[in-house]
Amino acid sequence: MVMRSFVSILCGGLLGCLLFATATTASAAPPLRVGMELSYPPFEMTDPQGRPTGVSVKLAEALGRQLDREVVIENIAFDGLIPALKTGKIDCIISSMTATPERSRSIAFSDPYLKTGLALLVGKESPVKSAADLDAPGRTIAVKKGTTGHQYASTSLKKARLLVLDKESAAVMEVAQGKADAFIYDSLSVYQNQKRHAEATRAVLRPFREETWAVGLRPGDTQLREQINDFLKQFRSEGGFEKLGDEFLPEEKAAFKAQDIPFYF
Amino acid sequence: MPRWLAHTIVVILFAALIALAFSRVDYAWNWAGVWEYRQKFLQGFGVTVALSLASLVASTLIGIVAAVLLGSKNVMLEAVGRVYVELIRGTPLLVQLLLGFYVVASAVGLENRYVVGVLVLALFSGAYMAEIFRGGLAAIPQTQRDSARAIGLTPWQSLRLVILPQAVRLVLPAVAGQFVSLIKDSSLLSVIAVSEFTLAAQEVNSFTYSTLESYLPLAAGYLLLTLPLSALSRLLERRYRYEM
Repeated sequence: MVMRSFVSILCGGLLGCLLFATATTASAAPPLRVGMELSYPPFEMTDPQGRPTGVSVKLAEALGRQLDREVVIENIAFDGLIPALKTGKIDCIISSMTATPERSRSIAFSDPYLKTGLALLVGKESPVKSAADLDAPGRTIAVKKGTTGHQYASTSLKKARLLVLDKESAAVMEVAQGKADAFIYDSLSVYQNQKRHAEATRAVLRPFREETWAVGLRPGDTQLREQINDFLKQFRSEGGFEKLGDEFLPEEKAAFKAQDIPFYF
Repeated sequence: MPRWLAHTIVVILFAALIALAFSRVDYAWNWAGVWEYRQKFLQGFGVTVALSLASLVASTLIGIVAAVLLGSKNVMLEAVGRVYVELIRGTPLLVQLLLGFYVVASAVGLENRYVVGVLVLALFSGAYMAEIFRGGLAAIPQTQRDSARAIGLTPWQSLRLVILPQAVRLVLPAVAGQFVSLIKDSSLLSVIAVSEFTLAAQEVNSFTYSTLESYLPLAAGYLLLTLPLSALSRLLERRYRYEM
């Protein structure tokens, strides 16, 4: 008897959850829900008060103004962004996401809005000079889980040992402590991390693979895609990207220009 | 109603509810993508089994030593045990792993992340084990020890024949629960890039973008490890009941 009432409570509870879940998905006149991981300064980050800010946040806000829709920033871990988009929890992804063929199989992308590439953060003691040097037994590569660096290392640098880490800071630490030969990440992050650990690391900034960032969308959402492409075109012609670059990345912009490394926007 | 029948009915009801939940979610399944990475799952599962076994043994040993320290009449020894238990139980395993690997292990030149992972996990679980063991021993009434001495048993005999058989029965359910926690906590080792079962599933997820298809096998795999443990604990409990 005790067991039976327990089971019925359990069934009732679970059914209740299901009904609740279906009831809340329907809502009218929706705001634009933009997914991003707020841990990639200066693109996606939070200000000291905990409010989202950064290049991508400003970009999303400008997009919202053009579409006349309220913008809601959803902070989601990077490798959870695509599942969130696919299950309808968010409407688009603006999270410094590279448009790759692999990702294009499951989501659609807008026109690219930014050009960058993969670079190397190398330990000071390590003999590694290029990405090709890493593809050898005995080499250890640190990557952040779910990034293009992770994908590149697991498909193109198979001879090396791969350390898959959750956090960018942990991957940098692996290199700084000499536990890994190199950390593969985009050139801007590599530049910034190298400055922070100048004694223990050096940077190989010239991208060995070029990449472009784009807004991620559901494949069926062609209307939003056209709206976003129009917006990006207009935003660029109005000099919006240049302004964001000057606001958030003045030093990096100058440094990359000086080294003649393709930079952004 | 026999027990096995009740279990079967509840399991079927649960499965039906979960199936109903899935049928209501509009989700495009992609098992083929995940199947390509089956080798990764198997490797990760193997690593998790090995890590869990090693830390199970080590945490039991650490727990016994710490329980002895906690019960010691020497205040210094008791203090060592107490500080260890409170420090470990009061801080997150995540912090212990990061500090343990990037600071402590680096300082002493221990570079193997698997060894460090097992050690930290064993120390973490050992603190809980220590309290379980101490509680089990403290629960045996003093009259038992007095009676054992009265019938002429040596201290070692009284421990082996009187105290331990009763204490083991008392602590078994809690120890089994702690072992189950330990197996699941081993998933946190992924933060120091130990490529265990959970990290394998997360990687497959980030390659295939098939979240549920990556994580459902994970749940099944952990059950495969923890259910036999629970069964074994119940079996032992029954055996020790008759040895009293």
